[in-house]
Amino acid sequence: MGDLPGYKGRALRFLQAAKASIGDMLEVRTKWGVVTGTLVPRYLYGDGDHVVLKLKSGYNVGLGLDGLDGAAVKAKGEKPSFSPPPPPKSPERLPRVALLGTGGTIASRIDYRTGAVKPAMSESELHSLVPELSGAAKVEAEVMFDILSENVAPRHWGKMAKRVVRAVDEGVDGVVITHGTDTLGYTAAALSFALAGVPVPVVLVGAQRSPDRPSSDAPLNLVAAVSVAGTAKFSGVYVAMHLGESDDKIAFHRGTRVRKNHTSRRDAFVSVGVPLAAVWGRGGLEYVSEGLPPRGGSFSPRPAFAPGAALLKFYPSMPPGAVRSARRLGARIIVVEGTGLGHVSGDVAKELGLFVKSGGVACMTSQCIGGRVDLNVYETGRDLLQAGVVPLDDMLAETALAKAMWVLGTGAKGDRAREMMVHDVAGETTARTFPG
Amino acid sequence: MAEELLVGLEIHQQLAIPTKLFCACPPVKSEEFPGKFERRLRPAQSETGHLDPAALFEYSKGKSDLYLWNPESSCLVEADEEPPHPLSAEGLEAALLVAATLKSNCIDEVHVMRKIVIDGSNTGGFQRTAVVGLGGSFDADGERVGVQSITLEEDAARNLGEDGGSRRFALDRLGVALVEIALEPVRGDSAHVGAVALQLGRVLRSTGKAARGLGTIRQDMNVSLGGGRVVEVKGVQKLNLIPKVVEYERRRQSMLRAVAAKLRAKGVRKVACRSMDVTATMARTASPVIKGLVAQGGAVRCISARGLAGLLGWEPEPGVRLGKELAEVARAGSLGGVIHSDEFEKQGVTGPEADALRNAMGCSVEDGLVLVAGRPDSVERVIPVLVSRLEAATEGVPEETRAPTDAGETRYMRPRPGSQRMYPETDIPDIPVPGPLRARVAKAVPEDWESTVRTLESRYSLSSDMALKVYDSDLAAEFVRACGKLRLEPSFVASTLVDLPARLTREGVPEAWCSLPALMAALEAVDGGKAAKEAVPEILRSAGEMGVSVGELLASTGREVLDEAHVAAVVEAVVSRESALIAERGDAAFSPLMGEVMKELRGKADGSLVARMLHQKVSEAAKNAGRSG
Ligand SMILES: [Zn+2]
Repeated sequence: MGDLPGYKGRALRFLQAAKASIGDMLEVRTKWGVVTGTLVPRYLYGDGDHVVLKLKSGYNVGLGLDGLDGAAVKAKGEKPSFSPPPPPKSPERLPRVALLGTGGTIASRIDYRTGAVKPAMSESELHSLVPELSGAAKVEAEVMFDILSENVAPRHWGKMAKRVVRAVDEGVDGVVITHGTDTLGYTAAALSFALAGVPVPVVLVGAQRSPDRPSSDAPLNLVAAVSVAGTAKFSGVYVAMHLGESDDKIAFHRGTRVRKNHTSRRDAFVSVGVPLAAVWGRGGLEYVSEGLPPRGGSFSPRPAFAPGAALLKFYPSMPPGAVRSARRLGARIIVVEGTGLGHVSGDVAKELGLFVKSGGVACMTSQCIGGRVDLNVYETGRDLLQAGVVPLDDMLAETALAKAMWVLGTGAKGDRAREMMVHDVAGETTARTFPG
Repeated sequence: MAEELLVGLEIHQQLAIPTKLFCACPPVKSEEFPGKFERRLRPAQSETGHLDPAALFEYSKGKSDLYLWNPESSCLVEADEEPPHPLSAEGLEAALLVAATLKSNCIDEVHVMRKIVIDGSNTGGFQRTAVVGLGGSFDADGERVGVQSITLEEDAARNLGEDGGSRRFALDRLGVALVEIALEPVRGDSAHVGAVALQLGRVLRSTGKAARGLGTIRQDMNVSLGGGRVVEVKGVQKLNLIPKVVEYERRRQSMLRAVAAKLRAKGVRKVACRSMDVTATMARTASPVIKGLVAQGGAVRCISARGLAGLLGWEPEPGVRLGKELAEVARAGSLGGVIHSDEFEKQGVTGPEADALRNAMGCSVEDGLVLVAGRPDSVERVIPVLVSRLEAATEGVPEETRAPTDAGETRYMRPRPGSQRMYPETDIPDIPVPGPLRARVAKAVPEDWESTVRTLESRYSLSSDMALKVYDSDLAAEFVRACGKLRLEPSFVASTLVDLPARLTREGVPEAWCSLPALMAALEAVDGGKAAKEAVPEILRSAGEMGVSVGELLASTGREVLDEAHVAAVVEAVVSRESALIAERGDAAFSPLMGEVMKELRGKADGSLVARMLHQKVSEAAKNAGRSG
């Protein structure tokens, strides 16, 4: 019964007997009186013992089947028609920005009748929700896919990269990609490699507060991303998110140096070991870091990824078999998150040596997040070097994983792959670490 | 002609539980705020793609919200930087107990909703709220009063006012657990409404789950006259304001209906309005207000409103005029007010100026004119709201949300929100109310409050009036504790706790000087023989004046506090010393002598007792002096 999503068991039979569908006005007879309200969907994890009505006051109440005598449909529900006012004509002079949706709906609207949240990506919907966009750019929106960011895989990175290449070919001034925040950092790194040298800004943007609430950070993040993508003098792949708790400034992070460091705050994303690329305020860019690549220039994208890489976080008592399982599961490059300067236990080090001997590439990053790995300081480090493990300097572990999948996507293996992992492509390693 | 006034009360009572509703923060008030951040809420869109009028009004003010916080009273949840924690089980149980006490039908599965509120008072742009009971009733003022629903909800942030372009809020109050009781509309006779509210307060207190203190109970009132539109008065904090608010709304709404009737009688079916910039026309006005605003770079706009001449300043009932309503709208939009044609003369707008305006606007003497002056952007924003308010004059009472004033009047806040927009709080799973919880709640339903009062009466030999006062003052527990601990007359304890603060505040003593700890310390001093009963008021005054606690006052001065006989001795001494002055000035010698006596007795005796004694002695002495002279 597609008409009664979420309902099961007794509740489903009760509603079927009453010939009720979602959105209908029902009169439900309870032991203490009649309750009138609109039937709303039930969440999938809800039990089969309650029927949920939305009262005229707007409140939902769950009525237990044990106390119900029956129900009658008073009026069939009508679907509300959504007709936002048309967007104003953008002046021709505005920059063109491709807005690619990948999920983690950055714009959405609520069906107050049932409480469902629907993505909003059409031009008029976007305009009606974020009117400032129309003044920032001519936005060409397209939903590529609608997936939770934890389900994003290398093949999606490949599709995104190819779609950006096409947009650049079509002459857009910038690209904005909306993305769930959980794996936004991985995707930003992946695209940084695939699109190295891209002549326009490519800005990934997400939201920590869902756009169905008036306090969402999505609109401001989106406005900043679109306006910078359209007008900035620099190019490259960036992540745009709130700089602090306030709705005033948006930070732009380099795609290979960005990390989600908080589960829920608006300013969860931080640039690790490098200054912010740029800061946007309501009046436009307020700060731009030195050394960002300028717009334009030649561009030879390599937008392919292959999954055969693994990320292993070392922990005390980690069984060496973990390395073997990764290999059995198809890993050709293993990125290790070691402790401190880049260490693992002797057993695991030995196992990594065997992996390298068998033709695999083993790389070392640090779970400290800040700072560089250095395998020359302690004996364990020297053993790892001896075993052929490649230190990745101050590359973030997540960035290293994305890079490994990109390296594999180019078809490189063995020494060539090892070389590519170390050679800086998109600012993933830095030469100098600064205090502060 | 008396039309029926209906009042729907919504009582918001803070629950006495140790945490907020959706996080582990304690519900305490902060005085200092080390942290702050700024946000801008966006209006939520309706499902048809249009915006709510109330939401649009707020957003159009272009204001940002500044939130101040202190880690002692708020965390990331209040900052909307962390999802809400599970609904407080204690909060739910307390609300269910209130519902059961009011014979409401408990909801089987509680669904937390988000109610869109974008006036900045909620960082999320919505208030979390859940119905826990439907229906119910209680008896008040000889009638059965129906309950519509019982709701468990989080309180809003504390409004600290506006500062430049931004509204300021403190996060300490945000998230505090409230139970809202929505009553069926009752007869709007002001005494009856007051009695209903008082009675409900008593029932709530009997559950033991009502938090105490100023601001822990707030009433919203939905007032409608003669079946007309509903006006919402939000946030009445003091019970004694309720009858005044009802009475004011009756006058105000009947004035609006009378204006509409006059317009109908004149044949004006629509109050057509036009507005234009008249800054140039008014450049050399005699009106000091407008002159001042223009000098500061302000703009002046004039609205003409068909047929409203004479009706803007008309006062069919005391203290209510259409012009006053317009001024309130202007003030809600950050302007000083308006000047309308019925008060042009009073405001210094001359006859020739009015003619010039009428000429420029192309309207007749039958039409009303409304001048708005101030910052150009503020004026621009307020014009459409004023116009819609003027156009509504033919319809009588417009739907709007109003705030009570301290005097028990109401003033315009914003248009009334469209139908309440709610959607599920997806961060909180639905909460079934299991059988054992229901049973526990049913068992905890208190005996009715009247038996508590009767117990106070019989056990402590209080008069029934005093027993009720103790109960209503919400100090029954303190009273019982004090009587157990101190060897004092219960009636003295009761009158000190309940009557004395009221008497002293009437005499202008700040409320803070009569705090519960101060009262208890004074009672203990009397009990310990360190002070006379009669000295309690003076002790409170002196401690307050000196900014010390009662204990510190008694310890530091080392002065024993005198009983009536000692006071009489001091008074007599002064009277005999100053017999010459009394002989010369008679009763008028009282004032200078009062000063003399108090020099010796300050901090040791109650001033009113001293005054009474002195008065008696002076007039006796004056009479004697007269006879002898
Ligand atoms: Zn908190």
